[in-house]
Amino acid sequence: MTTKYSFIGTEAPRPDAPDKAAGKAVYIHDLVRPGMLFGKIKYSECAHARISHIDTSRAEKLPGVRAVLTGDNSPQVRYGFIKDNFVFKRDKVRQYRDEVAAVAATDPDIAAEAVDLIRVDYEEIPAVFDPEEALQGGAPLIHETDGRGKPKKDNLVPVPWRFVSGDVEKAKQESAYVAEDAFETQLIQQSCMGTAGCIAEFDLQSNLIMHTKTQIPFLAQNDFNQALSAMGLKGKNSRVIVPTLGGSFGTGLDTHGYEFIAILLAYKTGRPVKIVLDREEEFITLSPRQPTRSRILQGCDKDGKLTFREIHMILDNGAYTSWGATTPSVMMLPISSIYRVPNVLYDTKIVYTNNTYCQAMRGYGNPQAAWALEGNLDHLAEEAGIDPYEFRMTNRNIPNDLTPMGLNITSCGHKECLESVAEKLRWKETRGQGRSAVDGKVRGVGMASLFHVGGSGRVYRSDGSGVIMKLDDFGNVSVIAGGVEMGQGFDAALSLASAEALGVTPDKVKVVTGDTATCPWDVGTHASRGAFTSCNAAIMAARKAREKVFQLAAEHFMPRIQFKEKRKQKKDPDYRMPDLDFERMLKPSDFDMRENVVFLKDDPEAPLLHLRLEEILREAHYKEQGTMIVTEAFYDPCNQMLDMKTCRGNLSATYIFGVQGAEVEVDLETGKVRILRFAAAHDVGQVLNRQTIRGQIYGGVMTGIGYALCEEYKTDRGKNLNPNFLDYKILSAPDVDFPIDVDCIETHDEEGPFGAKGVGEPGLVPTAPAIANAVYDAIGVRIHSLPITPEKVLAALRGEKV
Amino acid sequence: MKKLITFTLNGYEVSAEVESHRMLLEVLRDTFDFKGTKPGCGQGECGACTVLVDDVNVDSCLYPAFEIEGKSVTTIEGLIDEGNKLHPVQESFVAHGGIQCGFCSPGMIMSATALLRENPSPSDGEIKAGISGNLCRCTGYVQIVESIRDAAERLQENAG
Amino acid sequence: MKKFDYHMPESLKEAYGLMEKQKGRARYIAGGTDVIVRVKQRAIEPEALISLRHISDLRGVHWNGGLRLGSMTILRDLERDEGTARDFKALHQAVRVLANPQVRNVATIGGNLANAAPSADCAPPLLVLGAKVEIDGPGGGRVVPLEAFFTGPGQTCLDGTEVIKSVIVPGVEKGTGTAFLKDGRVSQDIALINAAALVVMEGGVCKACRLAAGAVAPVPLRLKETEKAIEGREITPDVLEEIKGLAEKEVSPITDVRTTAEYRRIMSGVLIKRAVEQAARAAG
Repeated sequence: MTTKYSFIGTEAPRPDAPDKAAGKAVYIHDLVRPGMLFGKIKYSECAHARISHIDTSRAEKLPGVRAVLTGDNSPQVRYGFIKDNFVFKRDKVRQYRDEVAAVAATDPDIAAEAVDLIRVDYEEIPAVFDPEEALQGGAPLIHETDGRGKPKKDNLVPVPWRFVSGDVEKAKQESAYVAEDAFETQLIQQSCMGTAGCIAEFDLQSNLIMHTKTQIPFLAQNDFNQALSAMGLKGKNSRVIVPTLGGSFGTGLDTHGYEFIAILLAYKTGRPVKIVLDREEEFITLSPRQPTRSRILQGCDKDGKLTFREIHMILDNGAYTSWGATTPSVMMLPISSIYRVPNVLYDTKIVYTNNTYCQAMRGYGNPQAAWALEGNLDHLAEEAGIDPYEFRMTNRNIPNDLTPMGLNITSCGHKECLESVAEKLRWKETRGQGRSAVDGKVRGVGMASLFHVGGSGRVYRSDGSGVIMKLDDFGNVSVIAGGVEMGQGFDAALSLASAEALGVTPDKVKVVTGDTATCPWDVGTHASRGAFTSCNAAIMAARKAREKVFQLAAEHFMPRIQFKEKRKQKKDPDYRMPDLDFERMLKPSDFDMRENVVFLKDDPEAPLLHLRLEEILREAHYKEQGTMIVTEAFYDPCNQMLDMKTCRGNLSATYIFGVQGAEVEVDLETGKVRILRFAAAHDVGQVLNRQTIRGQIYGGVMTGIGYALCEEYKTDRGKNLNPNFLDYKILSAPDVDFPIDVDCIETHDEEGPFGAKGVGEPGLVPTAPAIANAVYDAIGVRIHSLPITPEKVLAALRGEKV
Repeated sequence: MKKLITFTLNGYEVSAEVESHRMLLEVLRDTFDFKGTKPGCGQGECGACTVLVDDVNVDSCLYPAFEIEGKSVTTIEGLIDEGNKLHPVQESFVAHGGIQCGFCSPGMIMSATALLRENPSPSDGEIKAGISGNLCRCTGYVQIVESIRDAAERLQENAG
Repeated sequence: MKKFDYHMPESLKEAYGLMEKQKGRARYIAGGTDVIVRVKQRAIEPEALISLRHISDLRGVHWNGGLRLGSMTILRDLERDEGTARDFKALHQAVRVLANPQVRNVATIGGNLANAAPSADCAPPLLVLGAKVEIDGPGGGRVVPLEAFFTGPGQTCLDGTEVIKSVIVPGVEKGTGTAFLKDGRVSQDIALINAAALVVMEGGVCKACRLAAGAVAPVPLRLKETEKAIEGREITPDVLEEIKGLAEKEVSPITDVRTTAEYRRIMSGVLIKRAVEQAARAAG
């Protein structure tokens, strides 16, 4: 298809890349404020214990220390998704990372030394680390009361998720084939290259200025304002400023203890206080992805049509509740709606334990759901004697379909994605062909699908994104947005979309983000929504700006052309002014604009009849009662919040589909899985920026492969054992020793900006089950728990259940 | 203990009094305010702090500051030419999507620069081995390898 | 991290003088890629570090039939050394996969041995090559076989004031082949297991064999029982399977955060078997 766009779909370099390449981008680590102090936190040394005494006297005496705070000398600030967490723990600690005290000092070394001088006496109490044990009667209670102070009877997090459609029991009876499995996923860590941190400072009106690594500047502003209230500063405001982010991957979806501690220290000392986590703190005190245990059953009729799906899931919440407790709302999307299935039962228990509390990570629960769904689907296909690709094709999603959850599927490229991956893997020739060992190695291919929000996900009362478009005398356009660039290519997508929509070139566009005082509101950059919502808002703002430009053109185009012609005549007496039909340029509707040039809509090529945008803007500006153009738009998608009782609602304005597949080789002697080829086909609606979209998918796939094969945040009785890259292994470049085919299927979504759907997260959603299904094809044994380590493969080959 | 150390930093001779327990990374970032070199893990696992010392890439987080006496250090800022001109390796990373969040980029670019200095036309395998000490969570390395491949060509064109 | 003084002596005598003054409170440091990490993690808290980088007696690669490596030989230089690549393939292979380029650009052969990690990649190849460690100290010098050098995890026969002066690798006889293999969770990893083999082949028969594995015992380990099973025999698939079993029995690995004792045991058999196979092939 030849494109109708000037910039959309091109391979444009990112606007933020040169500064980053030069080392000039300013991350929180690099930011210095005058008079700044350095904060350091004292964490719990027990998983579950009463605090009997905290002695800070030695820390206070250390020269250079400016403040030492504990729960005893600071206001009680509550935080977390259901406000079950307190900034400093007063009575007891519930996990190793609990903040007990903190110090602000003139130098980071002094702060660290001071923290070491704080002595805390604990009285240990029984702890529980297994979510199923935590559910049993008599298990130690993690929280004696809930966030409102009401006594708690059990360790259930009061965020129940249950979805039922049709009659699963009946369908189960009537199914020709049923497959049942139990699956587990591990804890993994987001592993941002740039660790988290913030600088808190107060102005002299006691308003907070907070530089912090966040994906949700406006929701964070809310949280910080609540903290100000708790500090006795009701009515004061927070201004959140977001520095360049060294990755985020979900870590920035909640506000964190260290942020509130920096605020308290800054208020206490009257000076800016910086807290930046070191790598070990990042591992131990940020929240990893939830581990899950699932029991799943799916059934089909004799032709392989799915009849029902039943999943019971237990999530280890850890000791406190973050936004991560809402991940089942996203798990529910594929569970209810991937592949057409009429009868569905999904229930989940989220359980408090004395483990580190969990949070969102890229994919927001979906990888855990896909792991169970797609593995069990292969199992069912085998029971039915149907090739897993054909089985998927039979049950695939289709456009314009309303699912039992009430998800309104509009554009849908599931079929094309399946076909693409099957072709790349040469499925028909390779599937089931690699089991006879050559040199002790066997081969297999496998695939898995994904279904995710592609048009934002309404998890908050507003799902909106604002954009302000400000045009200046030089034809430059500031696109001021509430979204956050965290590496994913937000600025790149938004600059192309803004340029395209407005009719200017991308070099004229400057995307400005990251300041709640100047940027319009945005719910946050999550759910793969950044480009989808902000580009839609930019299109709306651009439309308004174009109207204004054309109104100004109606006023100034003709006089300006005449002026220029006259000037030419003055310079060159021989110049003959052509006969111009000025009647054609009197109404706003006469004009169009593309690539910074305003011209006649009906006659774009008309000689002389075009003006650069800035000429018109200057004409309008520099006159009596002049004017300038600033427009704004707020895009809130046509999606719905889930009804919490029925778990129904059209959560997203559109949905994204994808299929990934792998060809693997398994060494029967060592159990090692080697990927030979990887294929990723994603229904992206429309490519906005061809360079950054590939980057998103490659990056997602690699994180997905880490999830599949090697990443595991290991704990022993709640204590992390591998808080460093020496023992928490993420992939490095030599691990990518296989080709990755990326195929972007364009289904041109009606609601999407230029037809685009969100693509930020999905790259890692089906990766692990695709690999596991390929391993099964190779060795004939299914691995049920992640990661698929060589140890597990060997155990599986010996016939053990893993 | 403190000592005055003198070394060449991005082409200029500089001196500073530094404490004996400091690492080169701290000297670069805190003493000389070159903040392009990033603190990533502090243990030589991630490579975010990679700089060149006498033209070879090292982790500045593990390089004792005293050892820098008399040596020549190049940081990411030192690659930039007059008039804000990016080095060909930096240009390639910009042109080919080798950068996402950018936190690993300075270290990655320094390792790529060291690699290409020693091996002007590396194979993909040699490129991957050359940046094996630099972790990236965003890109999956594919476009980083593409960037370095392109950088090799740019550098050879410049040389030829 | 505890603050420390940092000394850069230019002679052994000066180094010993500094160490005498701060006995028990100071440590030697070579490339620093292990020592600095451990100081940062507070695994060790020395008051002073004494750098060995500037002592010319500890530098240089000398060929005299065999190889004499100054202990401060930087691994990257060894990686680039053509003679090592040709004659001591196992050592060269180990150096090439040790950590990453940034680490290899400063880490030294002496440091890798003195650090005495059971997983040290240089240890198994040097063990099978029959390397000796030339030790020097305030009380004089001595030469010990590498096997006697390691005494436990992180422990050596160095008395705290002594340094490794050089590593002496004897030349290999005709018909010798060596190989090194390493297993990690990902390509960039500390060894879960590493293994080296040296075989001397004559007329299709293995005349002599030395095997070693790392991360399978408190110290890098020679597998002498397994060696015996090969010597004097043709290296057939059956023999290879046999030594796999023997090697599994000869190691005593532990479970840690990286992997299980069981997997280490299995992998030491596999790696030893494969290393012997490769070494025999290299022997021609």
